Amino acid sequence: MAHIPDGFLSVPVLAGTATASVAALATAARRSRATLGEREGPVLGAVTAFVFAAQMLNFPLGIGASAHLLGGALVAVLLGPWAGMLVLFAVLLVQALLFQDGGIAALGANTLNLAVLGVGSAYVVYRMCRLAFGDAPRATVAAAAVAAWVSTVLVGLAVASELALSGLVPWRPALVLVGGGHVLIATAEAVLTGLIVGFVLRTRPELLPTRTSRATAVPAFAMAGAALVVVVLAIALASSQADVLEALLERLRSADAPAFAGPPAAPFADYVSPVGGAWVAGAVGLLAAFVVAWGMVLAVARRRS
Amino acid sequence: MTPLVALHDVTYRYPDRTPALAGVTLAIEPGERVALLGPTGAGKSTLLQLLNGLLRPDTGAVRMDGTAITDDTVAAVRRRVGLVFQNPDDQLFLPSLIEDVAFGPLNAGATRDAASARAHAVLESLGLSAAHDRAAHHLSGGERRLAALATVLVSDPDLLALDEPSGDLDARSRRRLLDILGGRREALLVATHDLELVRGLCRRALVLVGGRLEWDGALDALLADRAMLEGFGLVA
Amino acid sequence: MSFHHLDQFAHVGSAVTRVPPAGRLVGTVVLALAVATLPPGAWSQLGFLALLSLALLAIARIPPAVVLARLAWPLGFVLLASAALLVVIPGDPVVRLGPLTLTAQGADRFAAVMGRAMVALLPAVLLVSTTGFPELLQGLRDLRVPIAVATALGLAYRLLYLTVDELERLQRAARSRNAGGGAARRRHLVAAMAGATLGRAFVRAERTHAAMLARGFRGTLPLLHVTPWTAGAALNLVGVCGLALAVAASARLP
Repeated sequence: MAHIPDGFLSVPVLAGTATASVAALATAARRSRATLGEREGPVLGAVTAFVFAAQMLNFPLGIGASAHLLGGALVAVLLGPWAGMLVLFAVLLVQALLFQDGGIAALGANTLNLAVLGVGSAYVVYRMCRLAFGDAPRATVAAAAVAAWVSTVLVGLAVASELALSGLVPWRPALVLVGGGHVLIATAEAVLTGLIVGFVLRTRPELLPTRTSRATAVPAFAMAGAALVVVVLAIALASSQADVLEALLERLRSADAPAFAGPPAAPFADYVSPVGGAWVAGAVGLLAAFVVAWGMVLAVARRRS
Repeated sequence: MTPLVALHDVTYRYPDRTPALAGVTLAIEPGERVALLGPTGAGKSTLLQLLNGLLRPDTGAVRMDGTAITDDTVAAVRRRVGLVFQNPDDQLFLPSLIEDVAFGPLNAGATRDAASARAHAVLESLGLSAAHDRAAHHLSGGERRLAALATVLVSDPDLLALDEPSGDLDARSRRRLLDILGGRREALLVATHDLELVRGLCRRALVLVGGRLEWDGALDALLADRAMLEGFGLVA
Repeated sequence: MSFHHLDQFAHVGSAVTRVPPAGRLVGTVVLALAVATLPPGAWSQLGFLALLSLALLAIARIPPAVVLARLAWPLGFVLLASAALLVVIPGDPVVRLGPLTLTAQGADRFAAVMGRAMVALLPAVLLVSTTGFPELLQGLRDLRVPIAVATALGLAYRLLYLTVDELERLQRAARSRNAGGGAARRRHLVAAMAGATLGRAFVRAERTHAAMLARGFRGTLPLLHVTPWTAGAALNLVGVCGLALAVAASARLP
């Protein structure tokens, strides 16, 4: 579902996502140790085991189907972004290596989507919501649910983007099918995450870090902002490179064009030719929206305290 | 003669400030066998964890061979005090038994071959050789308790500290445990409710009630005194 | 639930198992990458890499029935995931199925993806069949995976059993207490069970940590078995990887 098997993604996408994942995991390893200290091993082990076990639970949707917990947001709320990324990475490793759930070559992409983006974005949204609406139990549960929803949708968008950038499917069907599918999953994830966080708050409130430090928040937010910029630039770059690649191919007179430039222009047949213009506007718009949202949240928070 | 382990006026409070131990003073000699008795919540487990430095006293001192337990000395102390926890599953956390048993020696710096050999020997002596490459959940409850015991026996401790070792054991496994413990030379401190287990095994008894050491004397004398047993809450 | 059945061939000595686990991991990744990135139409290269993988499986003495059994589930999933390709790729229509149109380009792409996915699964099956869990951890450690992750996985093996055990007990208790009730009620139950298990997971982590400290743990799990590198194993690994990469590269030459 969210795990991409081998054979779907192109070399540039595989390479790019793997590099980004390695960088993120390196940061996560350092910072997780700083937060958890000596207990790191056992705590991560216990939560990893929990995520595995929990993913086997059937969560009835009431329409004859059931969903399964992804766990990214839950782990972000409980352990913070860095330890959370390590836990999801551990889960993905075992799933790929032992159960062939998710490709081995695609591990970098799956890690970036589920561990880095899934956990990181959940944490950022969670913190923003709590800043805006306070830490009362109801607000915390709502914040966790919203974080779960947003991060799952973002994961879906990432998967769709990677499939489209690999030239496998055109953008529109990718976004509709994969992105849309993830919107449905996101709702289940939000409800389940909210319910679990609510339960934990009632029975073992000490497990939820209430006073999360600025030391964690600032680098997480900075990383989120940087990641956003990088992703958008990458999309812009890749789309402009498509033209360059086509030119190269003409020169090599290759009958079998490497798959992932595809039949020329087909991947973007349903979009206006994407160099500059629309993409730059999109990038700037997205960044602006993020900055404005953050600013608003901070303003609200300052007013309350 | 310096006692093997000594507590002097030790006080300990849990992180939420409830008192666990108050003014406990006791000493255990090398090779001595002592039963640690008391009702639930009396502080027996806390006492055991103070003995190997997992917990540090708020006031007073815990000494091994006369030397206080500090961050520098704690590693050596942990080699010499073999603590077996109440729940064997807490102690068996690696993918196979042999790894669990070799864990202690490897951490202490033994070579892989030496650690492996010692681990095999201990498992053999407890009749667990056949399961050496399997994970603990393939064993029965009694076997798991023995396996947990193996994980500390392998380090040749000077003091074996056992927390409720006979819980959920059937009669045959209890017999087995008694035979094994009976044949050992090191000092023994058994925290338990199981009076039958320690009768015949231990000479001396310590009674903890509400965090205070209320009695320190011959086990037989205690077991013969019904009134005292009831007074301490050791029998109904 | 058991991982034990997975590595039953890890004890069978072969040229594959003589390569230390880190090498096996690298080889698996290289082979999977080589297959996964083949351009469409590179059928001879795909076939060659498939044969190479099958040869390795044979050398490791994995029975074909086992390979098929392990391929079944992931293949089914890949089939579902790539089925959409048949009708989503624009191009020359072949067949109309209601509102959907199956295109020639869609069929081509579907075939390419299925081919790559199927063959890329073979090295994965090889890895899981020849590498026990402790060995896998050793390999990950050698490859510089963050220590916390390796330690976490080392402990997670046992912790998973204990956690699943607990969940099953809770499920049985819940089922006996609550026959029926709608989806909403069941959702709350599931969340409550998950929440309870989560709480216990942290407690267990504390106790495990205490037990580890009591036996001298200082931050890294020690390893009992280490497969040493030999010249022969290294050569075999380099050979297989080189071959795979050469074949993959040949698919992109004019």
